[in-house]
Amino acid sequence: MTVDATADLTDQEQDDALALPANWQPRTAGAALSIFGVDVVAVLIFSALSHFVFLTRQSLSNIALDGSESVLLCIGSAFLLGAGELDISIGANVILSSVVGGKTMAAFGSPLAASLIGACACVFCGVAVGAFNAAVVTRLRVTSFITTLASLGIVTGIAYVLTNGYNISDVPLGLQSYFGVAKLGGLLPYPALLAFAFAVAAWFVVYRTRFGLHTLALGSSREAAVRAGINVRGRLMALFMLAGGSAGVCGFIDLSRYASTNLSGHQTDALAAIAGAVIGGTNLFGGRISIGGAVFGALLAVILQDGLVVVGLAAFYQLIAVGIVLITAVSLREFTQSGDSSTPLSSRLMGLLLGHA
Amino acid sequence: MDPSATPPRSESRRPAAITALAIRKQYGHVEALRGVSLSVGLGEIVALVGDNGAGKSTLMKIMCGAISPDAGEVVLGNDVPVVAGRFNAAEQGVGVVYQDLALAPHLTVLENVYLGHEVLRTDRPRWLGLLDRRAMALEAQAALQRLAIRLPTVRVPVSLLSGGQRQAVAIARAVKWARRVVLLDEPTASLGTRQADIVMNLIRNVAQQGFGVLLISHDMERLARVADRIVVMRRGTIVAEFPGASATLAQIVEAMLGGAPRLADPRAGAPAA
Ligand SMILES: Nc1ncnc2c1ncn2[C@@H]1O[C@H](COP(=O)(O)OP(=O)(O)OP(=O)(O)O)[C@@H](O)[C@H]1O
Ligand SMILES: [Mg+2]
Repeated sequence: MTVDATADLTDQEQDDALALPANWQPRTAGAALSIFGVDVVAVLIFSALSHFVFLTRQSLSNIALDGSESVLLCIGSAFLLGAGELDISIGANVILSSVVGGKTMAAFGSPLAASLIGACACVFCGVAVGAFNAAVVTRLRVTSFITTLASLGIVTGIAYVLTNGYNISDVPLGLQSYFGVAKLGGLLPYPALLAFAFAVAAWFVVYRTRFGLHTLALGSSREAAVRAGINVRGRLMALFMLAGGSAGVCGFIDLSRYASTNLSGHQTDALAAIAGAVIGGTNLFGGRISIGGAVFGALLAVILQDGLVVVGLAAFYQLIAVGIVLITAVSLREFTQSGDSSTPLSSRLMGLLLGHA
Repeated sequence: MDPSATPPRSESRRPAAITALAIRKQYGHVEALRGVSLSVGLGEIVALVGDNGAGKSTLMKIMCGAISPDAGEVVLGNDVPVVAGRFNAAEQGVGVVYQDLALAPHLTVLENVYLGHEVLRTDRPRWLGLLDRRAMALEAQAALQRLAIRLPTVRVPVSLLSGGQRQAVAIARAVKWARRVVLLDEPTASLGTRQADIVMNLIRNVAQQGFGVLLISHDMERLARVADRIVVMRRGTIVAEFPGASATLAQIVEAMLGGAPRLADPRAGAPAA
């Protein structure tokens, strides 16, 4: 990009200036690339430390499987963050969705019908919780943090009430063997394919569609969005439903992987999703979304978790490691973005540490 | 028109482009507007002047439906009522430059110009909402060129622009979508001399095309050159009105300050603000 050299443009050069790729998003692309670099470096380090056990097909396909849920949740969170909102109830929403889906499956005899209708029930429940959050935020004008803090409690409570605290395991076994733990060509887990498809669709929506643009506008300046005539309530409703829907899909993946609900799990999911999105370059305060970054940010947490296990450290260290990465990534970004050429040191640090010059 | 009159309401002699009637607005204990009536005719440039805090911006925001008045009403043309929340200024052909610009800093110039008016690709299903960024880029570039604004590309985020460039983007956007009325709140405040002259010329062009223009500014010299009427506000009311050509700076400043004993030379108070 030549910002200075274009002061005096001929018509042809003007056209060239306009002919940048339609989705020109230098900052988010840079962030996504950096985190991808960190992912690769982390994988290589763990491989070296584990006599390359970590670099086997088996191990990589495990990362993909373990990462599928966090990728979905990170993307859902990235959309909301981009619009200047957040949802800390998505972990609870995953649980409730799997409970509702599990109950629905138990009501059907045929495994196929149970699986399909159960999947719909999961997604429907997730979307419904999202719609509830959106209704409170837009109608009662409660901030999304308070709203989803409240619904975190409400949704968890409902899940316990529905189950009396016992996990549901009336899940068709075929669901697990044909989807949950099955791999395309013995390599690509189906849940990961689902997450990948979701990511591609999300990328398209963010960078190519009016919905994506309005989402970013809402987060960049709510006032500007309102005055431009954007239907704020409608967009927020759709966004919360999208995030809820991603939690619903996770509920379904949970059921199919473990053939059971996981009432006691998912407690750090919502914050991990926000962390992953922000590590990947999505702005915590809105206006910028990086889908690629959300994917690689989500995978980084999984790589750290699986890698620590492979090298013989307790997986608990993962939480600490992710926290450190979060601080490092965000502070480096602050440095490089605020100073530009005046802070060459931090840029070089960024290049060194994040594999992106 | 009688230059020395202090009319209770300020009316145009032309067919009205936009009319505000008996507008009142209170913020806590501050009475920002105390029954202001003002109409802008088609093809007319009305300048609104007044000291800081006189209520100019408040009036303009009420006239474009951004905020609602406590009492009074605004009518676009002769029929469309302007009601905050239900009135979409851009959709109704009212272009607005807000004092705070109302730009989304993370979005690019082209995205800001087209926000709410996106061009969608016609070769794909419309429900997908696929943006035609190329078409928008060329059009946005053209809109900026009419203001003699040079940007290397319209794909740069607004946050990277200078204050003057941002203002120019806001003006280009307002003029681009206006069909009958343009409301501008201090559009030249952070522009250089050359750019400010270009904007004033553009405003004149816009009025010649039959638009009603309401222009708030502290730049008395340029105002006097373009305005058909100069309306003076003080403490939430209209206190005087002058035909653009005949008003002297001293007269206007006297009306702005309410004939109170002036501390400084009248010329000092005017364009410096
Ligand atoms: N949102 C608000 N809340 C409270 N008071 C407000 C608000 N907006 C305006 N006011 C008050 O209303 C009065 C008129 O403000 P307004 O912005 O209309 O003035 P103005 O004529 O545009 O001044 P300036 O030349 O400084 O832009 C001021 O006293 C201001 O403090
Ligand atoms: Mg003002």
